Amino acid sequence: MNWQQDRSGEIPRIEPEVEQALKHFKASMDAWSDAALSRPRTATHAAVRPAAAGWRMAASWALGCVVVMGSLAGAVHEIVHRQEMARIAAQKTAQKTAEERTAAPQVTAQPTGVQPVSAQSDKKTPADTMRKVSAAQDSASAQDENLLASVDSDVSRGVPAAMEPLAALMDDNETQ
Amino acid sequence: MTVDTAEEIAAQEFARIVESHRPQIFRFLLSSLRDIDLAETLTQECFLKAHRNWSHFRGDSSAMTWLMRIAINLQKDHWRNRRIQFWRQTRTNAVDLDEASEWLPNGERNAEQQMLAREQVAQVWQAVKGLSERQRTVFLLRYVEERELSEIASATGLSEGTVKAHLSRALGRVRTELRGPR
Repeated sequence: MNWQQDRSGEIPRIEPEVEQALKHFKASMDAWSDAALSRPRTATHAAVRPAAAGWRMAASWALGCVVVMGSLAGAVHEIVHRQEMARIAAQKTAQKTAEERTAAPQVTAQPTGVQPVSAQSDKKTPADTMRKVSAAQDSASAQDENLLASVDSDVSRGVPAAMEPLAALMDDNETQ
Repeated sequence: MTVDTAEEIAAQEFARIVESHRPQIFRFLLSSLRDIDLAETLTQECFLKAHRNWSHFRGDSSAMTWLMRIAINLQKDHWRNRRIQFWRQTRTNAVDLDEASEWLPNGERNAEQQMLAREQVAQVWQAVKGLSERQRTVFLLRYVEERELSEIASATGLSEGTVKAHLSRALGRVRTELRGPR
């Protein structure tokens, strides 16, 4: 076949050197193809493939098992961790309640100082105890707030000269 | 004519087509893939597909062009699947370019001419390796299968202008390879 000509139109011009190389290429392909077509068939390919597929399948299964086991272990660990946390929280709550119960008689005994503690505690109901505990907490928090306010004002007084007007403004606000 | 007779005739006709076109289809797939086993498998698949769709073949193009179109599509599918399944262990029996270049007919050439021819074949293989899938298909259909431009256009689904452009680029690469590094 002349590659320079084509029924359907022009094709790119080919130099003799390139044409020669292309002819050799075609001849080589023809020889290789003929040899491959006439070669005796062997079953090596079919014999090898199942083994490779078996290994691949085994590896996939192993990987899958590892992933599943990992997920299960993670889930179990999470459940155990949560149970442990809940147990610790319950323990702490119980401890706190016990502390409050032991602290309540002392709080009530201090202001009166007249009656014996055992006699007074005998008369107390749980509601009274709770009320007194909350009152003690309120007074403690009020003390904290007063302390913080005085610290704030100290800090504001200690500001540099440039911030002085702002500090004065804050003092005014406090007095109002 | 009975239905059985018509089917028998069609089967005989198809068998004739297989016999006459199998070497070309195999050669095209072998040059595209450089893998004898794969080329054989795809050749079988090509004729299996052709047999299934033989009743739909209207004869708009030649049987060879129709078969070549099926082979090109199978080859495309193969490359696409390999790209998608890159994570799989891909077994390939593709021979390297040196081995592919070893094949030459036993002509009356002397040793020097044989060596020169082998070198040229290796250079063309090197150029083919650097071509895109489409350029390679067009190049092989033209210079190995010796198809007309219109047949190549019909088999690849490209316009003749595009086929010419691909051929021109492919030839440019072959020229560059034959000139070698300067």
